[in-house]
Parts: sequence; C-alpha cells; structure tokens
Amino acid sequence: MKRILVCVKAVPVSAFVEVDSQHRLKRDGINLQWNAADASALEAALRLAGEDGSVTVLTMGTSKLESPLRELLARGASRAVLITDRRMAGADTQATARVLAAAVKKLGDFDLILCGCKAIDGETGQVPGQLAAALGLPCVSNGETLEADPDGLTITRRLETGTQELRGRTPTVISLCAYSYPLRLPGILGMRRARNIPVEVLNADDLGLLPEQCGLKGSATKVLAMESRFPGMRRGPKETDLTLGAKALGQILREVRP
Amino acid sequence: MKEILVLCPFGADPGLLSKAAALSGGEVRALVPQGETALAAACGAARIVELQAAPIGDEARFAAFLAERIRGWSCPLVLAPATVQMRNIMPMIAWHLKAGLTADCTQLRMEGELLIQTRPAFGNSLMADIRALSPIQMATVRPGTFPPQRGEHPQPGVERLVYCEEERVTLLSYRAFAGGTPLSQAQIVVAGGMGVGSREGFQKLERLADKLGAGLGASRTAVDAGFAPYRCQVGMTGITVCPRLYLAFGISGAVQHLAGMSGSGKIVAVNSDPKAPIFDYADYGIVGDWEALADKLLQEEIL
Repeated sequence: MKRILVCVKAVPVSAFVEVDSQHRLKRDGINLQWNAADASALEAALRLAGEDGSVTVLTMGTSKLESPLRELLARGASRAVLITDRRMAGADTQATARVLAAAVKKLGDFDLILCGCKAIDGETGQVPGQLAAALGLPCVSNGETLEADPDGLTITRRLETGTQELRGRTPTVISLCAYSYPLRLPGILGMRRARNIPVEVLNADDLGLLPEQCGLKGSATKVLAMESRFPGMRRGPKETDLTLGAKALGQILREVRP
Repeated sequence: MKEILVLCPFGADPGLLSKAAALSGGEVRALVPQGETALAAACGAARIVELQAAPIGDEARFAAFLAERIRGWSCPLVLAPATVQMRNIMPMIAWHLKAGLTADCTQLRMEGELLIQTRPAFGNSLMADIRALSPIQMATVRPGTFPPQRGEHPQPGVERLVYCEEERVTLLSYRAFAGGTPLSQAQIVVAGGMGVGSREGFQKLERLADKLGAGLGASRTAVDAGFAPYRCQVGMTGITVCPRLYLAFGISGAVQHLAGMSGSGKIVAVNSDPKAPIFDYADYGIVGDWEALADKLLQEEIL
C-alpha cells in the first residue's frame, strides 16, 4: 500500500458539552482530543503503509490544531494537512464531505482513504460515506480488521448481529471502529522527525470552494433547537437485603416484559 | 399528505413503517427484501417495492442505484432504520440527491411539509431538533424507537425491483455472533463493570442475559480489562442503548458510561459500594455483591 490518507477529527474530552446561540458546540476553551475511532484508522494506515508507503493525516477545524497534528506526525504520519477557515464553521456532514473531497483531490492520488466510523461528539458517522460518494469511490463502514495483499483488501466489518468478511480493491474509503487498532505512542525518532515537517494549512480559497459551499451556508440541514441534557438524576430507593432486592427486581422485570 | 419512502432492503422495520404510516396518513412506499411484502402491508404500506438482489457488498453502488430509483419515484421524504448498513448507505444516497440527512433520530414530527427530526448527540447529553433545507428530506431512525402498530393497508400495490450491478466490493461471508440478543435492539440489557472482576464473571452475566432474553453490555474499563468483547461496550466510545430496563452489575457510573445508557426506561444498579455514582442515576439500587444477586436470579424459576 503506497499512499494512504486518514481523516481525523478533534473532539471534546469532556463527556458533557454546551452549545452556543447558533446551536454549535462550544469548542473554545475546552480540551480537545483526537477521536478514538480516527486514532484506530491512523494505526491501521501506519501498519498498511509499512516502510515504503506514506500516510497523510487530514483534519478540518480551528487553527489551534497545528500542534495536535504535529503529535500525529510524531506517531508516524508522514504528512499533516489542516483545513481551517471561519467560513467553514457550522458545517453539516455534507458541507464537511465537500470540503474534504476537494482537499483529497488537491493533495493527490491515494490508494486508500481511512476514517473513524463516527465521532463521539456529533455521532452521525455520515462523513465517510458522503466523502466516498463525492469522490465516486466504494465505502465500507464499521471495519474491525483490514488487510492488504497485492490483489486487494480484506475487511471484516461488524454489524449488529454478526461479522461480514468483504473483499475490496483500491482506491476505496473504509471507516474503522474505535479501538480496532490501538494507536502507537510517539517515539524519540518520530518526535525529532516531526519537528522538521511543516503542517500544511489550507482554506476555502486554496480548495477552490465558494463561501456558499462551506459551513452553515453550504449545509443541507439546519439545527432548529438544541438543549443540553445532563443525564437526569433518578436517585431511586436503595435496598441492602439481597433477597428483598431480588424480589423487587423480579417485579420490575415483569413490568418491562410484555 | 406527502408520500414517505421507507428503505428497509435488509429487513422490514415494523416500528418505523408504522410511524411513517402515521406521519403520512397512510402514504407509505416501502422497499423490503423478497418475502417481506406481507409484513410491510400489515404495517400500513400502500406501495411495496420488493427487492430482488444477491447479497450486497458494494453499498456505494447500491446507494447510487437507489438514488436513481428515488428520483424516478419523486419521493420528498426518505427514511431508513439506523442500522450499520443503512447508516452507510443513506449518506451516499443523500449526497447523490443533494438532500439533507439527519442521523439516528429518536423523534419525528411533521410541521406542514417539513419533517422535524429530533436526535440525541454527544452521548445523550444534547438533544437537537433538525430540519432539511433541501427538496428531499432524509433521516435514519434508531431501531426500536417506535412501537409497531397493526394497520393493514386494504390493497397495497406491489412491484418488483431487481438489483444486479457489478460490484467493486464483494461479500465473502457472514458470521452471526453466537446466541443472544443484539445489544442495540435489546429491550433489556444486562451490563457489567470492573466490579464483575473476571471473564468468568461475565460468562455468568451472559447466562443471566440469555435467561432474561437480554443483551450483554459492559463498561469501557471491563472491556479494556479483557472481561468482555468490544462489541459489548456501552458508552461514549461504544454503543448507545435505550432499553426498557438497564441492569448494571458492578458498574461505578463514569459519565462516559452514563452517556451511553441514561436514556434507558428503567435503570437498576447493583454495586457493593453504596457511594457509587451509578446509584444517583438508578431508579432502584441494590447494595451488595453482584454475584450473589446474579446467582439468586439464575436460580429463580419464575423470571
């Protein structure tokens, strides 16, 4: 496998977040981390690329992501690209896929495009498919393992009730489950190497995109209302006698079962 | 009322078909696999498209094929169950149709000709109302959200649709998980945390889950410790579930775990630590040894 692109997203670390008056996640002042499933995609890419291949990481987000991208270079990526532009704020999955597809075309030919299957903030999982559709490529979602041989790719994919084994060929888009491939740690050599690789920064103009193709304006969906909802405290009664507890639980089971 | 197209190429979703029938006043066109036309009709579908296809591997090609048919039918509203496969196919259809698509909705309502879609995001900590800005409005809907209703259509029209395109991705094999109810569709979830302590402990929970017809869940720490496979993980980096009953054994209640199960109908927590945070989020708590309780439940014959 020669050239692999990995799409990554920075997501809030905290499990509970707030939204602004435009119904956008408040991303300022919160700690960000790379989405777990995207980290798996990067590790899968690094293994497939081996010594002679190249792995490009691509993200869209705030200008503050330059140094987190550098960390991915230290972990083994050979090239890092940041798309950042205020005009892209509030993009839905379609506007996001349009921007990513434009960047993929600009950055060159890739044998394989890997993504995480969904981000823990938006949880839509729609970008990989829409990116594939924009590029006219096949897309396999929810991959658990991914192997390459000279004739193609073998992918195992987790569904609700079982596992599919699929055979594909390059180029293609594949999204991977969280924790399918734990991402390696940065090594001393990697950190040294990362210092000499500049993070490439692109905006809408660089990608030949008009403002109405990006962000809120370029989106096909609109958020009408959003409310934060901390999981409600229920604070039900507590039982310390196991026999009585089992009895009460039996009653609850009878209620919930038809 | 506008027609609603419900795409169920891998198996009819009776709850979603019933909801679509209610929203559209009976104007439902349902795409179902061969042999499921009677089920679609029983849920109120007025027009049924019976799909004839070999096992599908290239979902991108299938999506392009469906997008072309949807143009022909000129359906303004397209729904599908939010299964792994349809959550891959619907975004690609939406791209081809330039349609707005909302993922994994848990509520739907019509406001005039607009479909207002409500979905949870970021665990269950945000609820958003979303509409499409495009002529075609699309959504995937979390399976099990709406109860199936019998509402037989008197004379449904049935047509056949054949899909036999050349595929770039081929399906070699499918292996079903051994036994048990799929976690995302389970009405009861029996879940364990670090407190369960071992793989053997989870085997006991699995026996209990089987007895109750429940799905088996696990916290991230239990999965990390190797007690249960990742596919059982409930929470931010796992699966979000909303069963009628969530039974938490030896789970302390980290916010990341709560995010994946706080939408459950009833939550019962079993933990030996009376101060475990999970008790704050439970409708009923049992303070004590999870295994002793599990043994009791396994012995009970009436359950």
